[in-house]
Amino acid sequence: MSWRGFWRSSLLVFGLLAAGRLRPAAAQQAASHGEASDSARQQLLDDGENKFHANCGRCHQPPHHLPPRLVMTVERHMRVRAILTEADVKAIVAYLTQ
Amino acid sequence: MRRVAISVGKCGRPGWAALLALLALCVATTASVPAVFAQQQDEPPTESATEPPPPEIQPSPLEAPMPTPALTPVPVFSMGVAMVTAWQGGQPNLEPLVSPVGLIPIGQKWLVEGRGTFESDLIPDPTGLGWKGYLEEEADYVQVDYLANKYVTFSFGRFLTPFGIFNERLYPVWIRNLQSDPLILPISTGPSGAGTGAMLRGAFNLTPKAELNYTTYFSTKLTTTPFDSDREWGFRTGVYLPGPRVEFGASFQHLLQADRSNSFGFHFAWQPPPLPLDVRAEYARSSNGSGYWVEGAYKLSQVPMWQNEMRHVQLVARMQEYFRGEFEDEDGDLPAVNTKLFEFGMNYYFRDDIRFVSSYGRQFAAEGGNENVWTVGVTYRLVMPVGHGDVR
Repeated sequence: MSWRGFWRSSLLVFGLLAAGRLRPAAAQQAASHGEASDSARQQLLDDGENKFHANCGRCHQPPHHLPPRLVMTVERHMRVRAILTEADVKAIVAYLTQ
Repeated sequence: MRRVAISVGKCGRPGWAALLALLALCVATTASVPAVFAQQQDEPPTESATEPPPPEIQPSPLEAPMPTPALTPVPVFSMGVAMVTAWQGGQPNLEPLVSPVGLIPIGQKWLVEGRGTFESDLIPDPTGLGWKGYLEEEADYVQVDYLANKYVTFSFGRFLTPFGIFNERLYPVWIRNLQSDPLILPISTGPSGAGTGAMLRGAFNLTPKAELNYTTYFSTKLTTTPFDSDREWGFRTGVYLPGPRVEFGASFQHLLQADRSNSFGFHFAWQPPPLPLDVRAEYARSSNGSGYWVEGAYKLSQVPMWQNEMRHVQLVARMQEYFRGEFEDEDGDLPAVNTKLFEFGMNYYFRDDIRFVSSYGRQFAAEGGNENVWTVGVTYRLVMPVGHGDVR
């Protein structure tokens, strides 16, 4: 192998190395974004569950299950009837329609 | 470049060993990074991994994209049903009740809602077999709500009088822990528990640990049954602390007819998070009378034995007292004399929507009104969509 061949091979090797480093970096960035999204989603659901039990349980036994198409109407009704905050309603709807 | 000195062997030519080493390093690096990354994902989260990011980069869960499909609200039909038998002073009463509720959402900000009550009070027919009584029909509320923004909801039509917490929140038969009404319920809720006019209400966060809710209303006088109401205005406000799950507040009402009197009241509710316990209390005072009730309800879900059954059982106790006021109640809904009533009840929840209810109470009233009060019954709540809706 000549010096030229050696340098070409070296460039190829470093190119592969760089590509190898780039791919996991991109994957890591995407996965990190996904992790953040999952974390935010989980936080929203946990928040919704807490608010569901705290607000619905103030007056009655919380229903075990409501079909999602009912949830929007029922929560609008409860926002008026039980004077829930808009933020609480959003979190509860997210929890009930997960 | 001095690299030559490193990669060139003794023979003065690039060594295959060095090249293979570079290739191996490249392959190892390329392969190992995802492996390490995958391992990080598979590992159980450590404490540091579960710690939330700093606040400045932490997205608010409510600002994050909703993880749910966009749902179109559909009209809903609901109904509370009760079949209760009561014995007051040895006199049996059959009290069947049906209370249908309709909810019609319009767009993103409007809601038309209504509730009626069909109730009967049957007593044994003294002239023969069977029972006799009458059917009461009541339009509890028929109102249009406009959710203007996060702070204000505007309602108009016929609405439940927002005085205290029982009339608006705890009145439905499938919600209340004891089937009898509190003695002070008629104070400031008018002849039918409802007003006809307009109302502003809303709730918002005062701080991350406290919410403020308010309601203010004006009602006009109507004498047309079943839409009768008084001419009055009033307000109610409360603070809710989500952490300890405590709410307390106050109500005020000014009557714009008859003696133009003022009424006021206070309410309190507490659901301690570690316990399946509800504590509620109200106090109300008007020119017709005053009084209070305090109620505790405990679900036996934490009893360490027979848990399959115990978690369905709820024990309830309520103490209440009424003091006659300066003026006699024209509607006759309030007790005519000072009255004290203690009730103890047991409810069994077959599911969250159907339950068996029972209670025993002892009433102490002036002028020979001491008597026992028993109730036994079943309550049921139905809720169903009217239409298929749409999921986008």
